[in-house]
Amino acid sequence: MFRNLTIGQHYPVDSPVHSLDPRLKIVFTIIFIISLFLIESFLGFLIVAVFLTVVITISKVPLKFVIKGLRPILFIILVTFLINLLMTPGRVIFTLGFIKITEEGLRQAGFMAVRLTLLIMGTSLLTLTTSPILLTDGIEALLKPFSRFGLPAHELAMMMTIALRFIPTLMEETEKIMKAQKSRGADFESGNIVSRAKNLVPLLVPLFISAFRRADELAMAMEARCYRGGVNRTRMRQMKITRGDYAAAFIFTVYIAAIIMFRIW
Amino acid sequence: MKEYIIKIDKVKYKYEKNTDYAVNGVSLNIKEGEFTAIIGRNGSGKSTLAKLINSILLPTEGKIYVKGMDTSDDTKLWDIRQTAGMVFQNPDNQLVATIVEEDIAFGPENLGVEPEEIRRRVDEALNTVGMYEFRKRPPHLLSGGQKQRIAIAGVLALNSECIILDEPTAMLDPSGRKEVMETLKKLNAEGKTILLITHFMDEAVQADRVIVMDKGYIKLDGTPKEVFRNIDEIKKYGLDVPQVTELTQELIKEGLDLPPDIIEVKELVDLLCQ
Repeated sequence: MFRNLTIGQHYPVDSPVHSLDPRLKIVFTIIFIISLFLIESFLGFLIVAVFLTVVITISKVPLKFVIKGLRPILFIILVTFLINLLMTPGRVIFTLGFIKITEEGLRQAGFMAVRLTLLIMGTSLLTLTTSPILLTDGIEALLKPFSRFGLPAHELAMMMTIALRFIPTLMEETEKIMKAQKSRGADFESGNIVSRAKNLVPLLVPLFISAFRRADELAMAMEARCYRGGVNRTRMRQMKITRGDYAAAFIFTVYIAAIIMFRIW
Repeated sequence: MKEYIIKIDKVKYKYEKNTDYAVNGVSLNIKEGEFTAIIGRNGSGKSTLAKLINSILLPTEGKIYVKGMDTSDDTKLWDIRQTAGMVFQNPDNQLVATIVEEDIAFGPENLGVEPEEIRRRVDEALNTVGMYEFRKRPPHLLSGGQKQRIAIAGVLALNSECIILDEPTAMLDPSGRKEVMETLKKLNAEGKTILLITHFMDEAVQADRVIVMDKGYIKLDGTPKEVFRNIDEIKKYGLDVPQVTELTQELIKEGLDLPPDIIEVKELVDLLCQ
């Protein structure tokens, strides 16, 4: 049941977007999020939508795939929409009992919904086009300057790598323990939420015990391979800014300039 | 005359809570390029001995030298672990990275080796263990035997002269065990010193030298032929001898004129069919 689970939602194809430097992509994504909050008109969002469509097309990720990523947060978008719709004071255009919808409310709600949708689509493009390992490398590289102020950049990245490495292993183990417990009469499917949660205890206890044992063995194996933290450590894969990265940076700057100009204008 | 790469001198080791010594006065020298198998039942001290050599544990008494370096010398710790690389039993719990080649690079990265040199070592190690075409795969999709070969490649990338393997095949199926043994024999032929801890007799038979441990002591030490002819003694330590050796000795009891130290099926077949 857990076998087919993919971590993150990386869509592995070869495209100019995929081969961009992960550091650059992370920075772009952050600036992209900020740019969304600079926009104050629907026409501005149109620019973003066009830009996003172009990037998605270049990335060769099917649009359907990107839109599918919206599904889990559809509820949040809906709630935000309703709250904005009903709570914004202004010129009333529609009344039904105690429900009052204002012109400003409609505008505000539409804004928030579009903004959230674009935000999720834009950020999911980062995880869709970057493998988890490159993402980890990128985050480590970007956080490195802060390690001077005591931020454990290497340790965080190492933790992410190990977590990614062990998710499938622990999933498999969960499945095994579930089967073993089921064969001895354990019931994970019926009952109300409280009794179901209680039934998970015989699953979680062995899982935790085994996870601790694995952690202990892994630590020993890492030490045996001369691991001693991030100091003086090198990396096999070096991140280099290529010509494609410069081109992307140029396009992205044009996009940001357009957004800012639109805002001032 | 070849050098001793590992020298173990009257070593004793006791785990904190226990009163008994897990390793009880072991002296042992291992020559460069030798393929040694250590066998013994659970709790015989064989795994403890491996961890002592790799400086994961430090001897309670006695000294261990790896290529002349004292394992209790803190300043030599990383050199020792680099010289005597270690492969553990559970393939899942010793692979660190999410991509095969990244995992093999883990050791040299820790040593601060230059990126181009790491790349070269990783490719070489991948080719040696025959896993080059799997270099971009995530380890959890590989078979047990393949995972152990990756673990071995990880040690090779450290440029270790000696590889210590602590029951590397215990969790593998027969074909995985065969893969690992073939890899080890190949590495030994290329000059690596191999110290294989196992409880499979058919693996021990393939070594140059077999050491039998029991209750923290070395009981027998010699070539497979010398060791396995002592059927009764080996059985006393809770171990088996290769089936063919046992059969031969039964045949001798029945009056056949055969040498008592046959360890391979082919040997016996050849003799019987003369």
